[in-house]
Parts: sequence; C-alpha cells; structure tokens
Amino acid sequence: MRIFDSGLFWFVEGILFVVVILAARAWAQDRGLPMPIWKWVLFLLWVALAGFTIAFVGTSFGEGEPVAATRGGLLFGLISIIAGVGLWRVLLAGTGSGGEDAVSEV
Amino acid sequence: MKKPPARLLRVLFASVLLVGALAYGRTRSAPDLITPVEEIFPGSQRIEFQRGIHYVYGGAGALMGWAGAEEANGYGGPMLLVVGVDTLGQVAGVRVVQQRETPVFWRMVRAPEYLRAISGSRFDSIDYEYQSVVAVTGATISGDAIVESVRSSVARVAEVAFDVQLPLPPKPFEFGFLELTILVLFAVGIVGHRLRGPIRRRLRWAGQLVGLLVLGFWENSPITLAKITAFLTGYLPDPRTGLAIYLLLGGFLLTSIFYGRNLYCLYACPFGAAQRVVGAIGGFRLKLPPWVVRLMEGARNVVVFAALFMAFITLQPALASYEPFAALFALHGTTLQWFLLFIVLTGSLLIQTPWCNFFCPMRTFELVVLDTKRWWQGSRKGSPGPVKKASKAWTGARDQKGGSEQ
Repeated sequence: MRIFDSGLFWFVEGILFVVVILAARAWAQDRGLPMPIWKWVLFLLWVALAGFTIAFVGTSFGEGEPVAATRGGLLFGLISIIAGVGLWRVLLAGTGSGGEDAVSEV
Repeated sequence: MKKPPARLLRVLFASVLLVGALAYGRTRSAPDLITPVEEIFPGSQRIEFQRGIHYVYGGAGALMGWAGAEEANGYGGPMLLVVGVDTLGQVAGVRVVQQRETPVFWRMVRAPEYLRAISGSRFDSIDYEYQSVVAVTGATISGDAIVESVRSSVARVAEVAFDVQLPLPPKPFEFGFLELTILVLFAVGIVGHRLRGPIRRRLRWAGQLVGLLVLGFWENSPITLAKITAFLTGYLPDPRTGLAIYLLLGGFLLTSIFYGRNLYCLYACPFGAAQRVVGAIGGFRLKLPPWVVRLMEGARNVVVFAALFMAFITLQPALASYEPFAALFALHGTTLQWFLLFIVLTGSLLIQTPWCNFFCPMRTFELVVLDTKRWWQGSRKGSPGPVKKASKAWTGARDQKGGSEQ
C-alpha cells in the first residue's frame, strides 16, 4: 500500500485529471455540443469530486485505514456516480440524445 | 369461509415458526444478575434477593452493600443495568447486564466511560448528566436508557436500603416537529390518494421530499425492521417519548387496511424518496423480466423471515436491522450496509425504487395486510380470494389512469 502514500500516486492522478479534461473537450467537439462556461464549471466540479474520491480511497489505504477507504469510497463514489449521471444529462439536454426523456415521466 | 390462498397459508406457517422462535427466545432470556453483582462486589460470599434488590454479604455474613437492577426502554428493547451501592452509600460499580441496541449505535454511546464516572459518587449526589453519555447525536435513545436505568436502580436501592426517596424526573409527553410532520404527511397522503393526475404526483413529490428531509436527514426516524420487531416481541416504547413510531406504524397499518395502499411508503418514507430523487436524476426505467421480479420478491420475503427469526430467537430486535437507512441519513452503518446503500442507490439510476420493491420488509408486511384484507372481504362476500400479481412497475405495466404510482 506504500504506493498510495507516494508521489507516484499524485502524479498518476494529475495525469488522469488532464486526460479527462482533454477527453471531455474532444467529446464535446465531436458531438457538436455547446459548452458554455457554466457547463465547464459543472464538469470541473465533478472532476474535482471524482478526483477527491480517488484521492480519499488511495490515501486512506496508504495510511493503513482500509475500513475508512472502503466506506469513504462507497460514499463519495456513490455521490460521484449520481452526480456524473446528472451532469451527463445536463450536458446532453436539448440535443435530443436522452437528456430530457425521464423528466416528463417524473 | 373461503380457504385462504397459498400465499396466506405460507404466511401463517411462517408466523407459527416465528411464534415458536419467540417462545424459545423468551425461555433463554432471563438475565444473569449474580455475575455482575459479584464483579461489583469482589469477595462476596452470599447474594440474596429481598424487597426488590439484592443484598450482598461478604465473609462471616457481613453486609457489603446492595445492588439494584431496573429496566429502561432502549432503541431495540429493554436495557438492564445493575448498580451496586456499598454500606457507606457510595456507588460501588455499575454493569450493563442486557442491552439490545443496534451495534453501530451502541458503539457510539460512551457507556463504560459514563459508568466509571459515576462510580464512587454518593447515591444521593450522582451527576447523571456527567459529560454526555452519547458520543455523538444519533444514539440519544440508548444514552437516555442508560441514564434512566441507572437512576431507577439507584432510587430503588435508596428507598429500600436507606429509606430515602429519590425523585425520578417525570417524563413529559413529547409532541414536536417530528410528530407534527408525520401527521401532516399522512394527511397529505389521504388527500393525494383521492386525487388524480399531475396534482397527485406533485403532492406525492412534496410529501416525499419533506419526508426525506425531516424523517430522513433531520431526525433519522424511518420505520425499520428493528422497531417492528421490538413491537412484535413485546417491547413497546413509552408513548410519551416515542410517539413518532406509534404514529408511523399506526399510519402504515390503518392506511393499508382502509385505503388499500400503504401511504407511509408512498408519501413519507425517506429512503423511498431518496431513491426517487436518484431515479429522477438517472431517468432510466429498466424493465425486468417477470421471472426475475418474482424471484427477487421471493428472496425478499425469505430475507425478512430470516431476519425476524434471528431477532426472535435471540430477543435482539436490532439483529433484524439490515436496512442501510442509518448509513445514508446518519453516516453510521456496518460495511455491509454501506455496500447495500451503494448498490441500491446506483441501482435507482436504472431501476425504479429497487429497495422498495426487492428488499424492503415494509413491502412484505404491506402485502400480508392487503392479502389478509382481500381474503377476509372475499370470504364475507363469497367472491374469489386475493389474486396474485407481480409489482406492476417491474413488468413495465402502467396505471392506465395516470402513470406508475410505485
């Protein structure tokens, strides 16, 4: 578990961070999605949340706290997944790609 | 009278087994008071029970002190502590004899620290509010039960051994924000049940959001299997301080009987509301094959039976508590409950209210009540008994009049 306590872990997380942002930009361009500043802000907030989840799990394991890592991973992972799905629907809203389908069913 | 349908016969058979488990549990549940008294008074040679307390004698028949043991109502059932008082009137020690609290919440209660703190005090000058019994809010009922049991035990010893009357604080009747909210939610449910269309859906959303915030995050007071089990095992909470659970269970039962629908689940349940919120975010409605639905509903009934059986045979209502409610609303739970929470809420993104339909014990109880009602009405009128039907939401069937209501 020492790897979670080392600089390598943060190096990898930084790479992930950049890759995700570049991938999101490319994805939006490919689909022709308008990405005003507020959508970028939401996306970056979600990336921060997901990154925090990974960091929490990793550093907890690194500190020898597997129970905290598991429970924190479940809690923050759950929030990240739900927020990610919500963000996906917000980004696709108005494009006819499934972003608004369920709203009328509520 | 019409023969009960197969499902009701299975319920009857399960009930017989549960009554047997409860009877067996009761024969084993007599608490051992001698061992904790001997721990409080090391060197004791003889312990006699007279006038409601234990007289403790040492060598040569010398009186060492007295021990009182009075019950108080905890979260999962009665809690019993034994308090020893020596001949000088000082508390010689306190031991927890029996408690039925949910393990996660019992760990939150700083019981050993509190009991050590009051040991050594004179029986008539104990600071019962020393520090806070409860480590964090959320185990208030358990903490209050500890204080009440100790106070009652000391009062009993004081009255018998020292002829001193120690007044016990009166329990005021508590009717506050929680109780008022519960009544309002059921009222909204009764009104909403009579309406149709968008206004019914909006009322249901409003009720459930209020339930999510108040019964869920604010008070962490949904109906749990542990609370139902406590009732079924005869541990009735004091209505003066636990009116909320009476309102919730009474509302669940009466609305099921008189309206044919369980309005607690539809309008008040905080966990159901949480799933609906997540479902609204996800927007998916995965349709499961009917055989999968039947299999999962059957598995749910088996799990509920197993949980009740374990709780009855051990007389530990908290053992029946497998719901992940506290994990969501109080961030307290076992690892298993956290996993269950994760699975249920991520599943809610794809499937409508998976907990309600495939895991929740309230659904099992609701079906038993409704089946019994239909069979009884059918027997009286001479019409066919209850019809088996799988949950409509899972097979994709929709209410013709206004969309799925589950």
